Amino acid sequence: MGCERIEELLSPYLEKELAKKDEQAVENHVLTCRSCAELLSLLREAKETLSSFPELDVSESLREKLYDVPQKKKRFGSVFDFLLRPSLQPVMAAVTVFCVILSFYMFHPQRAAINRSIERQFHIGISKVEKLYAEAESITQSLGEYKDNILVSLKNLNPFRGDEDEQPKT
Amino acid sequence: MLVDAYSKKVFNIAYQFAGSYEEAEDLTQDIFFKLYNSIDKYDFERNFTAWLLTLARNYLIDQYRKTKWEKKTRDAFDERLLQADSRSSPEENVLTQETKKIVWESFNHLSSEIRMAVILRDIQGKKYEEIAEIMDLPLGTVKSRVNRGRLQLAKVLKEKREKSNGM
Repeated sequence: MGCERIEELLSPYLEKELAKKDEQAVENHVLTCRSCAELLSLLREAKETLSSFPELDVSESLREKLYDVPQKKKRFGSVFDFLLRPSLQPVMAAVTVFCVILSFYMFHPQRAAINRSIERQFHIGISKVEKLYAEAESITQSLGEYKDNILVSLKNLNPFRGDEDEQPKT
Repeated sequence: MLVDAYSKKVFNIAYQFAGSYEEAEDLTQDIFFKLYNSIDKYDFERNFTAWLLTLARNYLIDQYRKTKWEKKTRDAFDERLLQADSRSSPEENVLTQETKKIVWESFNHLSSEIRMAVILRDIQGKKYEEIAEIMDLPLGTVKSRVNRGRLQLAKVLKEKREKSNGM
């Protein structure tokens, strides 16, 4: 076994997790390889050092703050719960999109050009609407002119009249 | 009460992970805030300690990822830790203090995931199976991360000693 493979086995070796065969291989290797023997010794030292790190006590001030956490949650919780309701998600998404567009507009370096473009589009829109309105008015007028003719034609056609020839003679 | 039972454990993991006493206090408060917010999601079939530590682990790693560029250094291995370490004799302290200092500071060389695995295994003394549950990882991955973390720490220890010996 090479040093690279032995390196992988050193940690499980320290924890006695290796099969007998691998354990023997590690022991034989470190007898002859100074570098791996040193690494094993350093690993053992690091592991022992880590396990000797003390646990610190929690300070009184932190303990008090932690006791206050449920109160803090009550104060802010209801507002957050309301805002984070799933039914409000589409509204939140719409507000976000609006804010993104608004921020894009507010902080764009060529804001004046955007303003001009919006104004132009607005006027184009208004003139289109006016044009449509005028067209609609002319159609209404035309219909008014033909209204009488249409009514007379409908009267002559009289779709509800029925077949008078087949009525019995009195 | 949750605070009495779990605050010490959560605070120590936060301190060992973040390396700053003040930051660990803030993180502990955040974790308890999260705990109270998600307590209704707790599955009663799960071990509560493992569930809480999963929550703590997720929060610590998320926070670390968000601010890792600000965290180049840890608090010095100072009086707080040495005073708390009442097990060592004064003679032993002289020999081991330096090693402890190097290992403590070397945590910054470990990635957040490896650091957490090493803390849970070697400082907190958890079983690999518990760590796999807390970190939501396969057992083999946990073992490999702990192994890599220890090797990295051993190599830093070697490097620092060689430097201090002027080699």
